[in-house]
Amino acid sequence: ENRESVLNSKSNKLTEALEEANRLFNGVSRAREAALDAQFLVIATNIGKEKASELHSEMSAFDSAAFAEDLLTFMGINRTEEEEETDDSEDVPGGFLPTDAWQTMGEEATKYFRRAPTFHYMMGSFKSEPPVPKQRIERRKKASRGKAERAMPAQLKKMELSHQEATEKEVERILRILQTHFENDPDTPISFFDFVIDPNSFARTVENMFHVSFLIRDGLAKIKLDEDELPVIEPMKPIGRGEEDNRAAARNQVIISLDQKEWK
Amino acid sequence: QVSELVQFLLVKDQKKIPIKRAEILKSVIRDYKEASSEILNKAGRTLQEVFGLQLVEIDTKRHAYILINNLPHPEGNYLCKDKDKEKMGLLLVILSFIFMKGNSVKDSALWEFLCLLRVYPGKQHRVFGDVRKLVTEEFARQKYLEITPIPLTDPPEFKYQWGPRAEKETSKRDVLNFVAKMQGKNPTFWASQYSEAEANA
Repeated sequence: ENRESVLNSKSNKLTEALEEANRLFNGVSRAREAALDAQFLVIATNIGKEKASELHSEMSAFDSAAFAEDLLTFMGINRTEEEEETDDSEDVPGGFLPTDAWQTMGEEATKYFRRAPTFHYMMGSFKSEPPVPKQRIERRKKASRGKAERAMPAQLKKMELSHQEATEKEVERILRILQTHFENDPDTPISFFDFVIDPNSFARTVENMFHVSFLIRDGLAKIKLDEDELPVIEPMKPIGRGEEDNRAAARNQVIISLDQKEWK
Repeated sequence: QVSELVQFLLVKDQKKIPIKRAEILKSVIRDYKEASSEILNKAGRTLQEVFGLQLVEIDTKRHAYILINNLPHPEGNYLCKDKDKEKMGLLLVILSFIFMKGNSVKDSALWEFLCLLRVYPGKQHRVFGDVRKLVTEEFARQKYLEITPIPLTDPPEFKYQWGPRAEKETSKRDVLNFVAKMQGKNPTFWASQYSEAEANA
């Protein structure tokens, strides 16, 4: 209370109050009173700070009223006409402010800001989720051996299935991709690395190799070395019982090591 | 990854609210948290080289970022919507007032000044609508203004200062030049503001 009268630069009320507080503090014996004293000091400090700033000791005097008038002038105020809307009893200084007053001010203002222009898609916006990498299977020309299909696995969605079932599903899916490719192009096996490597994710590459190993284990696909000693993979056609022993015998263990650097 | 982040930042910047690092990690970087600083740095370079925008960290404690324009001022800024231009006008006026008055003003002083410009806190404004909300909420959230309560005031009072975005997007020198232009005076007319502005340039 009485904040305004205390703030008055001519009054000594603040000093008097502080002196009284000092006197009173001598009689303080309880924590609650000390707390009140502390509270009083905070208020007194704030008032002191305000008084100091009101003295404008740091800044050269700035006439805000004159500034306001100059701003209105800049915005195109017409001081000869009376303002048309007489809504309330507030003291409106004479003059008519045009509707584009703040447009004018804004035009000038933008020159003083280094504001990044707001970014908008020209064709409208997409959904805000990052795009799911799609599974792309391109037709491979017979002529060019180098370009193999790259099957990019779709993002693994969270499934309620257990881990094991998820693996089985993945394995099945990869087998189908392999078989589909082979239907289109039966005589050329795919380069193993082209098949499993995901250029964007080392983790997925390893996963792919893991799934492919299941196919090999179950005899659904086979890997062999081609003329360049590079591994290639092709699906095995489902054969009758008689030949199964043959297949079992031909299985070998291979360990492939691939670290991130090599993968890159 | 980097281009995803660049896109993410550009879109997030539309509202001019600082982008938190946590958001970035959750939405874009996800699995590659260890590389996050590198990805951020690369994104910053792309933003600078392709768009002329600077990625600035305005809160080193809580890690929040804004985009500002690094290109020299074009004549006639046609990239700004009218609504935003008008807000910029009001903002510049407020920032000027705060600076010229010693970098910190009480809310009562600010609104008293704005009333002189026919902008009233309690009244719906023809252009700005709910001005009080625009100033105390929108400008504060965008970090153009820093509004802090003055302790133990009843009814509660607030002090207004420049926010970190204002510090980055404009300067005391620019603002003083604005005031000088409006008043048809030389910026050196206000000696202490002038020296402070030059010291900060």
